[in-house]
Amino acid sequence: MNELLDCGLDIGEQMLICGGEVHRVEDSLKRIFHALGASRIDVFIITSSMIVTIHTANGEAFTQTRRITDTGIDFERLHRLNALSRKICCTKMTAADIKRELSRIMACKSYPFWLECICHAAIAGCFTLFFGGGIIEAAVSLAAGMIVRLLVILSDRTVKNKIFSKFIASFAATALAWIAFRLCIIPDVNKVIIGSIMALLPGIGLTNALRDLLVGDSIAGLLRTIEACITALAIAAGYFILAMIAGGIAV
Amino acid sequence: MTSHEIIQLVTGFIGSLCFGILFNLHGWRLAVSALGGLFTWGLFLLFSFFIKNDPLCYFIVAAIISFYSEIMARVLKTPATPIITTSLVPLIPGSSLYYTMSYAFHSNWIQFWEKAVSTLKLASALALGILCVTAMVQLFFKILARKNKKCSK
Repeated sequence: MNELLDCGLDIGEQMLICGGEVHRVEDSLKRIFHALGASRIDVFIITSSMIVTIHTANGEAFTQTRRITDTGIDFERLHRLNALSRKICCTKMTAADIKRELSRIMACKSYPFWLECICHAAIAGCFTLFFGGGIIEAAVSLAAGMIVRLLVILSDRTVKNKIFSKFIASFAATALAWIAFRLCIIPDVNKVIIGSIMALLPGIGLTNALRDLLVGDSIAGLLRTIEACITALAIAAGYFILAMIAGGIAV
Repeated sequence: MTSHEIIQLVTGFIGSLCFGILFNLHGWRLAVSALGGLFTWGLFLLFSFFIKNDPLCYFIVAAIISFYSEIMARVLKTPATPIITTSLVPLIPGSSLYYTMSYAFHSNWIQFWEKAVSTLKLASALALGILCVTAMVQLFFKILARKNKKCSK
């Protein structure tokens, strides 16, 4: 049973990391352990920690906890984990089966690195156009988006602090826009920065926070809301500090 | 339709598509989410033509798109959140958030408050739109589940 508990927690942990709502993960775990034959299931999850206790039919109790530190949005994995938890509920699976399926899910590929960079750049460029920027501004934004993405990846690998990454990203985007402005490539910095900011805003964090709050997971929902607010503040801080160094950017 | 509106529709679509790729969506789920981005801005332009109140338009569009996402999620047997977040990308008030920041930096407090309030209004309208539909859908499925239980008894 301990092994099964371990497998179940692995699934839950990965779901949280990939961007699942706390309420969804709790619900999935309850269903999974119910299907695996637990008589009583107590699940408590917040964004950074999981505690699960299950009682077996013969009165034994097992508890395991997990500390969740990293996040990396991956909806493909979330989709597959969701499918796996459905499968566990429908068919009898042993711990070895689940482990095999899980390792297959973990091995599934994401898009190549260069495509992610291009997409990040394209988002910045697109939203510069979207908010009324010109072609040249969009091109600057595109280049800035690419450089910002590379910086974020670099900072994620070395510092491993999400808030710091956002700060650096916003700082770099503002800096690049300002340089382009000083070189007289673009008439004003606003549209370029807006485009770059769109790619950084914590949209998923906030959506998940709201959905968690609504179903009554107040602690998890509040934690996520605060996280999203701090991310937004970090973005603002990046802009402010560069603007101060540059001595005021024309509105 | 002006040329700027056409640009917005196209860039909104590409923006959603690229966000979908960053979130590692594949196949039909990616297509549905990117199309959702196109619908989002199309609907917003349509409603803002009749209703001269941006937060209200945001609310309506967010509700419609959430409904669309919940249906698509059931069809594709996948969680709804990825589709909602990716589809609603064009409505993220990035522009007004930036101007709020910019006014604060220039100590332009009157305009700052104006922009801050409008950003907050847009964001909460977006959130409320999503929440209303999510709540309704959950209620609907709870009632359905209870009915099924009664039938099986």
